[in-house]
Amino acid sequence: MRKKVLKRKTRETLVAWSFMSIWAIGFLMFTMIPIFTSLYYSLSDVVLSGEGIVVTFSGFDNYVQIFSSAEGFNFLRSVLDFSIEILFKVPIITVFAIIIAVLLNQKIKARGFFRAIYFLPVIIASGPVISQLINQGAATIPVIEELGFINFINETFTEGLARPIGNVFSELIVILWFSGVQILLFIAALQKIDTATYEAAMIDGAGVWESFWKITIPSLSNMVLVSVVFTIINLATFSENEAIQHIKTNMFALETGFGFSSAIAWLYFLVLAVILAVFFLLFKGFSKDRGRR
Amino acid sequence: MARSKFLGTKINPSRFHKSQIKYLLILSPLVAFMALPLIYIFNVAFKPLEELFFYPPTFIVQRFTMSNFVRLFSVTGASGIPMSRYLFNSIIVTVLVLFFSVLISTMAGYALSKLNFKGKKLMNEINTVALMFVGIAVMIPRYLIVEKLGLIDNFFVHVLPYLAIPVGLFLVKQFIDQIPDELLDAARIDGARELQIYTKIILPLIRPAIATIVILSFQSVWNSADTSTVYINNDNLKTFAFYMNTLTSGTNGVAGQGMAAAASLIMFVPNFVIFLVMQSKVMDTMAHSGIK
Repeated sequence: MRKKVLKRKTRETLVAWSFMSIWAIGFLMFTMIPIFTSLYYSLSDVVLSGEGIVVTFSGFDNYVQIFSSAEGFNFLRSVLDFSIEILFKVPIITVFAIIIAVLLNQKIKARGFFRAIYFLPVIIASGPVISQLINQGAATIPVIEELGFINFINETFTEGLARPIGNVFSELIVILWFSGVQILLFIAALQKIDTATYEAAMIDGAGVWESFWKITIPSLSNMVLVSVVFTIINLATFSENEAIQHIKTNMFALETGFGFSSAIAWLYFLVLAVILAVFFLLFKGFSKDRGRR
Repeated sequence: MARSKFLGTKINPSRFHKSQIKYLLILSPLVAFMALPLIYIFNVAFKPLEELFFYPPTFIVQRFTMSNFVRLFSVTGASGIPMSRYLFNSIIVTVLVLFFSVLISTMAGYALSKLNFKGKKLMNEINTVALMFVGIAVMIPRYLIVEKLGLIDNFFVHVLPYLAIPVGLFLVKQFIDQIPDELLDAARIDGARELQIYTKIILPLIRPAIATIVILSFQSVWNSADTSTVYINNDNLKTFAFYMNTLTSGTNGVAGQGMAAAASLIMFVPNFVIFLVMQSKVMDTMAHSGIK
């Protein structure tokens, strides 16, 4: 009998898929299929009745309803607010995470303790704790309001811009709580940098400032994109997010129902995809620029 | 070396030096902000009722009381099932999810990061896209699938939907990407098979990533009451998070607030313990892995 020899490429593919398979099956069952079912629901009239779920295809009715009903307008407004807020929050979180990561990578006393504390918000920023904190108003900085800072923002910007920008400032602490994983990602990237690079630069006469901009930042540029993606997703799927509250409340509401709720979920998804694409293009250019030097 | 400021350091210094002051000056005040929620959650649970509604709200408890906890436990669930049953369910569910989700996502992450195969790029992109989809929006479709699989009122419905979560794979893959290909090639030349590379090289090197996933998924599983609400009708199979929810949601208003605070402290403590246990591994990152 001739022994069957697989081509190297085929074998690699087989090995890879055997590593992937369990994950792929689970992903397909509990994520992919439900997502596409919800796409179909978003184009349908979904009625939950005693006998089960009655789905009738209705074309773009749900999407039309988003742009023509009060619920739809409320949703659109919170999505718009969120989009503006994210333009501020993502850079704040990224820059904060880089600075903290660089500081936490120094030889300092009690470094382990500091790293633990800065990673701590990870267990607070999701789950029931954060919703309690926000509900009780413990997450805002009262000083900002007392000093008239919010008034200043309201006077300077138009109404549509002032609300999200004001939110960003009053939620500054919460924003910082969302940077735990990002700090971790940057520390991992920092530790990958070869110390010899810094020594070589130092011998060539580069100062600390130059080393930071010419060595540290370029080495981090790949991680910046990862951290931006993570930040957007983390903020967008945060359970206290207003847009998500809309999806939740409309799900079992009488006038709107699950079809409408699926439609706004898909619209939200598309907006996120656009935001992500914008950041992606921005940073792709950035990394390329750095690579050329 | 005064100038070695951004150098990747590998040793946790034991001695204090003047040059550290400037870093400590920046880091220390922010520590207060970062630890704030922790202090808050511990304090609010022990506050007497009237203190909960002080304005401006106070952080530190002034008159320490256990009354919130006493009241919480005097409200027994309607079902008459002992609390230990729920606790037991939760522990089993959490352990199963942690073990299998780590195993599955690291295996998939290794394939996606280091192996070449058809459909790799596509799978990566699908995963990133799926990350953006709001979980709550697929609740009903997911219910239909669970129903079709005959998993309603089955204990494993707590576990299965959590095993292949996109966020876990996303993070694991980022960490595996940091491992240099040369290391794996060297192992291949020495005759290592892919499974050996996975167990002997990848797993030890990404321990920080695993610790991170453990912390993150512990939270989402332990705190989740949704699976119990949606998929389980049999009270014997419900989880502790669900039980805590029923205790606090039944009583509204002023008294409910204090009980909710006590309940969320009870729910939070295991998170904190896991964090304390795992965080030193998380923060080691790649320092001791022998790679740069």
